[in-house]
Amino acid sequence: MARLHPQLEPFVESSSDPWDRVKAAHLLNRAGFGGTEQEINRVLEAGPQAAVDELLDFPDGPSDLISATDQPDLSHIEGYPRTFAERRKLFEGKTAEERMLLNQRMNQANQQALRAIANWWVQRMAYGPYPFHEKLTLFWHGHFTTSARDERSAWLMWQQNETWRAHAAGNFGRFVKAVSRDPAMLDYLNNQQNRKARPNENYARELMELFTLGIGNYTENDIKEAARAFTGWAHDGEAFIFRKFDHDDGEKTFFGVRGNFDGDDIIDLILRHKACGPYIASRFWNFFVNEQYDPAVIASLGEVLRENDYELRPMIRTLLTSKAFYNRQNIGSQIKSPIQLVVGTVRLLGVKMPEVNRLNGALNQMGQVPLMPPTVKGWPGGKMWINTSTMFVRYNTVLWLAGGEPVTSGRRVIDAINRRNRSSGIQVEVDGSTEQIVDRWVERLIQRPISEQKRAILIEAIGSEPNESSVRNMVSLILSMPEYQLC
Amino acid sequence: MTHSHTRRVFLQRGLALVSAGLTVPTFIDSTVWAMADPLDVKLTQQESGTDGKILVVVQLSGGNDGLNTVIPYGDDAYYRARPGLAKRAEEVLKLNSYVGLHPNLAPLKELYDDGMLSIIQGVGYPNPNRSHFRSMDIWHTAIPDKEVTTSGWLGRYFDNTCSGEDPHAGIAIGDTAPLAMKGERVLPLNFERPENYRYKGQDQERYLKLNGGTVGQETTVEPSGTGGGSGQTKTKGVRIITPDNQLEFLTRTAMDAQLSSDRITQLVNNYNTRSSYPRGSYGEGLRTVAAMIRGGLPTRVYYVSLGGFDTHANQGGRHDNLMQQFAQGVSAFWNDMKEQKNHQRVLMMCFSEFGRRVQQNASQGTDHGAAAPMFLFGPAIEKRAGLVGNHPSLTRLDQGDLIHNIDFRNVYATILQDWLNTPSKPILGQQFKTIPIFKS
Repeated sequence: MARLHPQLEPFVESSSDPWDRVKAAHLLNRAGFGGTEQEINRVLEAGPQAAVDELLDFPDGPSDLISATDQPDLSHIEGYPRTFAERRKLFEGKTAEERMLLNQRMNQANQQALRAIANWWVQRMAYGPYPFHEKLTLFWHGHFTTSARDERSAWLMWQQNETWRAHAAGNFGRFVKAVSRDPAMLDYLNNQQNRKARPNENYARELMELFTLGIGNYTENDIKEAARAFTGWAHDGEAFIFRKFDHDDGEKTFFGVRGNFDGDDIIDLILRHKACGPYIASRFWNFFVNEQYDPAVIASLGEVLRENDYELRPMIRTLLTSKAFYNRQNIGSQIKSPIQLVVGTVRLLGVKMPEVNRLNGALNQMGQVPLMPPTVKGWPGGKMWINTSTMFVRYNTVLWLAGGEPVTSGRRVIDAINRRNRSSGIQVEVDGSTEQIVDRWVERLIQRPISEQKRAILIEAIGSEPNESSVRNMVSLILSMPEYQLC
Repeated sequence: MTHSHTRRVFLQRGLALVSAGLTVPTFIDSTVWAMADPLDVKLTQQESGTDGKILVVVQLSGGNDGLNTVIPYGDDAYYRARPGLAKRAEEVLKLNSYVGLHPNLAPLKELYDDGMLSIIQGVGYPNPNRSHFRSMDIWHTAIPDKEVTTSGWLGRYFDNTCSGEDPHAGIAIGDTAPLAMKGERVLPLNFERPENYRYKGQDQERYLKLNGGTVGQETTVEPSGTGGGSGQTKTKGVRIITPDNQLEFLTRTAMDAQLSSDRITQLVNNYNTRSSYPRGSYGEGLRTVAAMIRGGLPTRVYYVSLGGFDTHANQGGRHDNLMQQFAQGVSAFWNDMKEQKNHQRVLMMCFSEFGRRVQQNASQGTDHGAAAPMFLFGPAIEKRAGLVGNHPSLTRLDQGDLIHNIDFRNVYATILQDWLNTPSKPILGQQFKTIPIFKS
């Protein structure tokens, strides 16, 4: 075993650096979408090791393994054929006009089903039993990207979402092999068109450049040879198929090794490449810790992945329990993604998540619509979320959510909130001194100390005799602080 | 512009700037004067280091039927292909013995007769893509053969010519910023209506204090020109993002947004014009653009869209209405520009992601096609450039579609070089020949 980088050694609390609410909230923000007071209390009690184990304790499988009833509504595409062969049959003997109408109806059904999937997913992030599982699925969705802008089949987008969920914390090698057989991915990166007679290098290139190694760790010739190995990997509209006659089974030279390789062999060779572990580690670090990294830490984290045969859980556990993760510089240093902002606000305020249809416009303006990453590189993230246009949209969207209807049905993870007053918006209670009220809400929403000057502004906003409307105003001011944009 | 003046403006506007380490928003020095005194608005734009030319892009979304816009009324093949949709020769506004404009484009005919309009015929690109998204991306990125492109041609123009500190380099009217305007470094400003481009909370005053800079110890924001808000510090040779410099970055952006919002709202609300713009987001968008041009924003590119051109079925009346709306907007805008005496500074470019199939379909509509005409408007246009290129053949087709004669990137190169006075090669990736369209 290689020696772990000191920054990756487990965080141990000390009198000067205690295990406290700020750190517990940090864990729930990064390994999920933000924690309620009770959740923070539980994490605080458990300590980092046990808390991370619990967060990682979800079944490695698609959502129906967890619940057969908590599933997206795909009724819109029911009854329409999935495979190309069935679709051809349906179109046989129809006039041009009938075909056009049928096509229009099918497109519409797919659009509706796609919205239903996005809606289900965002609701699940907010209320589902395993927020970290969904956070990881979102991470992989930005890593192994496919956009519904290009893949119009809702069924295939749904299958992909479930495959990513099933492998989210499993074995990275097996995951890449599943990705390489995923129909939506085969479409998105044109492996469907990758035939012996006319190889298409798109998938082979992105497999190495974006998915496993990073640029500069392979040659153009490696891409060509890998593309040959993936020829004939295709789908029939519904599932993976191997088209034997399109496959090039000749000898290939890849990374200097010669052999009659197929796609799985190529993936095995990639996993042996020294750049693979650190590359995946860097992607995790960027998403879960900080936009920037120390290469020495990343090399060590990548080694953890390799030493565990690419099992993801040990690496994730190392990362989330590390000194580095709880370093002061990494707490509250991440600009919330639009999805984090929306889902987190719903969770922290205990309000109802609007239907995605009503959120789509805002998510679009903020730059993150689920199932629609902008390019094969996924969402650029970090500072790229922020400009003068998105700033207002982000503030106004949060205020809009705060004014929305409170949750009316009990959900497992979300904290119980006062539901007596159904008027609209967040529930506020006017008890205690003005200072206590302000501190309570800052702790609940920002979860870190704020400057004395800003605290004074919030206190002044309530005045000496707090009432419901002044407290409500103060809460909306907390939600409109730049601090709230960070987690 | 002095800092004391900047500070006075801030105080007037209720921003609590108290410390000596004054936070200067990134663009305030060059532009705050117009906001300070709305009556003292100059007629022409104050430019720093460049000329004051403006490009207004009008995007016709959905695939405008080029054949029923610039109509080859002198060709029997047109009437054969469009039995239910063709415009009769006598209603077409004739440009020559072969082509004429849609009957509802009378205002465009006037601009054409005045030498203010150049119609570039048969514009497209090799291996045309018939997906709306993909073809629109191709027009926006100007890179037809590469799937992954995160920047647009106008964005790269900003990247190459702007410091990136002023958020007003490009302004798009609409809910989302068009890919065309996104640079790697410089991003456009966008809003559907100016009234949505603002903070909507109630307690504006305290909101400004919480976002205004110097109220917290963490907000000693470095002045502009120190890296465009990178918010990074160097620690032991490794660049690390910290909560404090992330906050600085957010605070600075929030302040930029606030100032920009105040200014634009004021310009648009106080704008009076005799031009009557058509109703709807397109007409209102053009009016907003005119107000911002009048207000002297340092904006170089404005972007407005008109949608609804995806006319697969019952195209006739719908397309007629769209043509009318399009022409009314263009006409109102140019009357406005002349009234403002800003017309010499403006060029307008209109395009659509593709034209439509030559042969109409069975539903009295047309399906996705390829080549189509582009329009350029402005006094800078050379009178002889009224009609550029030949109309594509209606009988020599590619999969039923017109074959382009002119690559759209030749038009972009012309605009970049001959209008915006910037080399086009770094922006378009290769040197495209320009078309002699402008007065020399």
